[in-house]
Amino acid sequence: MSERKTGVYLCSGCGIGEAVNVATLEGVAKSEFRMEPKTHACLCGDEGVGMIKADIDAGVNQVIVAACSARVMTDRFAFEPHLTIRADLREKVIWSHPAGDEDTQMLAEDYLRMALSQAPKVTAPEPWVDGDYSQRICVLGGGVTGLTAAKEAAALGHDVLLIERSDRLGGHALGASKRLPHRPPYDSPEPNDVDALVAAVKAESRIVVKMSVTVTKTAGMPGKFAVTLSDGSVEDVGAIVIATGWRPYDATKLGHLGYGASPDVVTNVEFEAMLKAGRPQRKSSGQPVKSVAFVQCAGSRDPNHLPYCSNVCCATSLKQALELIQADPLTNCYVIYEEMRTPGVAEELYRAAQKAGVIFIKGKVKGVGADLTVTVADELVQADIPLQGLDMVVLATGMVPNSTNPDAAAEEYGADLLKGDVDPEAPIKVAGYCGSEPGAHERREQAIPPGGPLLNLQYRQGPHLPVLHDGFADSHYICFPYETRRTGIYTCGPVRRPMDWAEAAEDAQGAVLKAVQAVRSAAAGAALHPRVGDLSFPKINYNQCTKCRRCTVECPFGAIDENAEQYPQVNATRCRRCGTCMGACPVRTISFDNYSVEMLTTQIKSVKIPDEFSGKPRILVIACENDAVPSLDMAGIKRNSWSAHVRVLPVRCLGSVSLLCVSDALSVGYDGVMLMGCKPGDDYQCHFVKGSAMAAERLSKIGETLKSMMLEPERVVQVEASIADADRLPKVIDEFVDRIMGIGFNPFKGF
Amino acid sequence: MTHASPTPTKKYDLNFARWVYENVDGGDRMALCMQCGTCSGSCPVGQQMDYGPRKLFMMIRAGLKEEVLKSNTLWNCVSCYNCVVRCPRKVPVTYILHDLATVAVREGYAEAKESDNSRFAKAFWWSAAKYGRTDERLVTALYYFSFGMGEGYKRGMANMPIAMGMVKTKRMHLGMPHKCKNTGELKKILAKAAEIEARSHAGGAGNANPAGGTAGHDK
Amino acid sequence: MTKKIVSYYPGCSSQASAVHLDTSLRAVMPKLGVEFKEVQDWNCCGASVGHIAGGHVPMAALSGRNLANAKTDGTSDFVTPCAACYLNSHYTNEKIRDNAKVRDEVNEALGVAGKSYDGSLNVRHICEVIVNDVGMDAVKAQVKNPLTGLKVAGYIGCQTVRPFARTERGGMWDTYDDPTFLNDFISATGATAVPYTKKTSCCGGSVSVMSPEKTLHLIKDIVGEAQEQGADVIATPCPLCQTNVEMYQTALNQKYGTNFNIPVVFYSQLFAVAFGMDPKKDAALHQHLISADPVLARAK
Repeated sequence: MSERKTGVYLCSGCGIGEAVNVATLEGVAKSEFRMEPKTHACLCGDEGVGMIKADIDAGVNQVIVAACSARVMTDRFAFEPHLTIRADLREKVIWSHPAGDEDTQMLAEDYLRMALSQAPKVTAPEPWVDGDYSQRICVLGGGVTGLTAAKEAAALGHDVLLIERSDRLGGHALGASKRLPHRPPYDSPEPNDVDALVAAVKAESRIVVKMSVTVTKTAGMPGKFAVTLSDGSVEDVGAIVIATGWRPYDATKLGHLGYGASPDVVTNVEFEAMLKAGRPQRKSSGQPVKSVAFVQCAGSRDPNHLPYCSNVCCATSLKQALELIQADPLTNCYVIYEEMRTPGVAEELYRAAQKAGVIFIKGKVKGVGADLTVTVADELVQADIPLQGLDMVVLATGMVPNSTNPDAAAEEYGADLLKGDVDPEAPIKVAGYCGSEPGAHERREQAIPPGGPLLNLQYRQGPHLPVLHDGFADSHYICFPYETRRTGIYTCGPVRRPMDWAEAAEDAQGAVLKAVQAVRSAAAGAALHPRVGDLSFPKINYNQCTKCRRCTVECPFGAIDENAEQYPQVNATRCRRCGTCMGACPVRTISFDNYSVEMLTTQIKSVKIPDEFSGKPRILVIACENDAVPSLDMAGIKRNSWSAHVRVLPVRCLGSVSLLCVSDALSVGYDGVMLMGCKPGDDYQCHFVKGSAMAAERLSKIGETLKSMMLEPERVVQVEASIADADRLPKVIDEFVDRIMGIGFNPFKGF
Repeated sequence: MTHASPTPTKKYDLNFARWVYENVDGGDRMALCMQCGTCSGSCPVGQQMDYGPRKLFMMIRAGLKEEVLKSNTLWNCVSCYNCVVRCPRKVPVTYILHDLATVAVREGYAEAKESDNSRFAKAFWWSAAKYGRTDERLVTALYYFSFGMGEGYKRGMANMPIAMGMVKTKRMHLGMPHKCKNTGELKKILAKAAEIEARSHAGGAGNANPAGGTAGHDK
Repeated sequence: MTKKIVSYYPGCSSQASAVHLDTSLRAVMPKLGVEFKEVQDWNCCGASVGHIAGGHVPMAALSGRNLANAKTDGTSDFVTPCAACYLNSHYTNEKIRDNAKVRDEVNEALGVAGKSYDGSLNVRHICEVIVNDVGMDAVKAQVKNPLTGLKVAGYIGCQTVRPFARTERGGMWDTYDDPTFLNDFISATGATAVPYTKKTSCCGGSVSVMSPEKTLHLIKDIVGEAQEQGADVIATPCPLCQTNVEMYQTALNQKYGTNFNIPVVFYSQLFAVAFGMDPKKDAALHQHLISADPVLARAK
């Protein structure tokens, strides 16, 4: 890289010039950093941007903009390939603190110092690009989800490898009589159209279908996966879509609901097959079925069986009852339920079933006799009521995700890692909590479906895809539903949550778009969600590495393996650039071109710490840029105010915060440190899944360090912040400042 | 001769529920009841009912015909129509309760026949059919004396101040009852209507009342 | 002002307990441009109990005969001031129009008298006519004697708005739970409508007539809130509400130890006084069990 030439630009617009003394800010840059700042009254306007561009033409190759939040005007202040560093004087200074105030002025000066001080520590990132990248997408599973995924990926111009373990395409849909309605008016069972989908996939020349095979080994990284199949072939693919679907819950465990007591007690899956074969008949007598009880939640939402709701059983029973009534209007159909759950348009099916005369009995089944008498504790009539004269009892059993391969034996290696290397439900212990403390998580045994790994990943962190506590593949339901914790590998359909046919097809489309993004980004060396397009990647200084392996264990995405010499080895396209490895490393050997522990501590130390006689404490808030920083920005937009003694340091993720940053802050005289990030735990909101949990884990060990420094552990806290906390966070900050003032000033001040 | 509703032989025997769906005014929409309880929660006299409308509807499905037709729910309805306009499934609750009351009387349930409403209705209909008009004096007197001479006298005396006030303010007159001019024509029409009514009940299950009647709810 | 001619169905209470509603309406409606043509030889609608003793077809035949008689008058609107008459007539009218089986049955019965009806009239409540056809400006234009300072609790009751206030052909005029028309009427006379949450609570209807012990508590709440709000008078559009809420106040005082003595009048009586008409001949204010003194005091 050529010699660094940094240009510094101050904006006095949006009221900055009126609220703080810009000339003094210029003075800070000149006297403390020997830089020549330029001030403009509207820096983001054409004239201001033109001024910067002219300087770049004249040789400036690093730009520092002290204006508004780094989250706004990003396109105006983007001068690629040069790096832009932002200092926020607007949202976090003049919009949230009183104008013309001495403390506000000091705040603005410190944010400018934090920006200027990091300039020598960062360079514009150069991407990791190496050799050839595959654009082919591998789809695992040939049911409705997988077929749809294959078809959609091909339609986007990608070659597809579709792998099915059985000898037929179609999955569970092959056994379905009809499908749940997915077209207006959504009130009647619709024909099973899976044959058309299978035919469309078979007709597509971009799709290669391999049946009766499973995956035995998967190595590599996005753009460079090598998938070994049970037929011995090795396939190069760029991304993998998991559409392995579900298996029915084992009904032999449902003896309390009569399964096994009579041949006429069947599961919904068995009943569906009977419907497909024609008019259902009693197995015991061969008589046509005229009176049927559907028992909902058979083994579902039951802590002894499946603790969750499978989402489609209610609608499926409605569909099956309607099929019976459509064949014979005088069929008696009873649905025994605790709560009918008919999300979305399934409500129309519910109404249709009511109209057709299906009787809904709210209550719990107390027992099923061999003569098919079902005794219901009827909640609405408030009595135990025996249902007699039934021809058949249908148990609406739930879905078990195929997040493991039922055909393969569970392997010793990695089985523990399947549960996640940091228990997502572990109670978060931190030195002290400000605001509302998180409730203790009720711990439950993780229900992992029996079987071996689906992909047998050759990753340091084990062969499995991490799962959530109910055995579904780990992903964030709302914010990033298809992302697993293995970059470039996406789940869709019932393997990630219970869903019906139409939803699964939609899900497949979403996952395929993610896979396409993965293969295309990998080739460019660019990051995926949530730091989309980031070209930086972790670099390890092997001269200092102690082979402690903390980075390979803590990476939420399993991006770092160990090489033959036990040194960590980064697989760049697996990396999501959160910096959790950087925060984990005890000897600061991991850094990014534009992000490092050194850069953070330099910023921390650049702040002027007044002595205790000034009466002005300094509190460091290390804030996650995903939710905490935007939330503080919104607080500023709403003109919410908080203590001007606080200095906010944005970070990529709390996972990237090394304890060294905290101890450095305390040793230079900050009176308290607050880590502000996303919610950890099994219902995490962390954009890097485990970053904030890792921060909490590390912080739980800081108590001893603080004691050895003769400091109160209450000086360091971690708080949860969500994107909607603009009104709450200022209060949380002020409360913490008050508490620190109660403890007193840091005795290290001035040393 | 009227056609009686079928009696369930076991719990959740659907014969009575299906009969209600087909023969009771608004019964077809009752099938859509989702047991939310908005009706019972909206009822000004729900506290005084044996069962709120929600529970009554579930009891019909459960085949508890006797309990349903003997319950005072049918008699305590004050016809405020709160439940009708609030039902999220547009079940015309008031109409159904009204019609179940006629079923209970028609099928001879003692609790129904001896209810205040049944006595009052009898007196009321007598006046309406005979004179074509309601004569509040005669209806009230007939109603009071339906409980027997002693009780009738007692009730009459208890309400005497009100009656005197009504007379004094000329809201109750003392002469012959008001009536239609052509009471003969009215009698003929009502006789024919009663004949049609009886015919429909004798006609077997189903279709005594028209399907698709939304009982005056929002269209 | 354009004149509107409507068929007028007064209902049985117009002959007895609600004669003052009939009297006052006949006085004020011509001033509002509405001319009544009384339905020929009208009969009882069956109210809310007729079906029990009579059955459905006879019940429908009662309204059917009224509607058939009105149809020969050549008007398009069948207007009634009584809540129960409105409910029964409207319900039967819609059934006759929309349901072939009911239409056939009613016409078979009417046929013995050589009558028939097809459901083509619009059955309307007279308050709806005032809201939609007359309008508040026309009412205000007639006010010569504003009832300034009179505090009125506007009590609507049930069946005037439920279940037909939001239906076609004689509906679409107000809400079920918080109707505003009565307060508009009150304000138009220059009086003050007090805040009143019980405006659509039930007085017990015919159950209050036959079994008051079941429903007196409902009336207690209705009168009680009017008293708490400092109302001088309760105004209502419903004949049975007027009677129930007025005649049971003595019984309430005996049972609950209250001191209720609030007159209950019809909106049409307030109109008559505000229009400067005769308090006795036109407003019929002498026909109250609880003397309507606060209104009488403002009469000219």
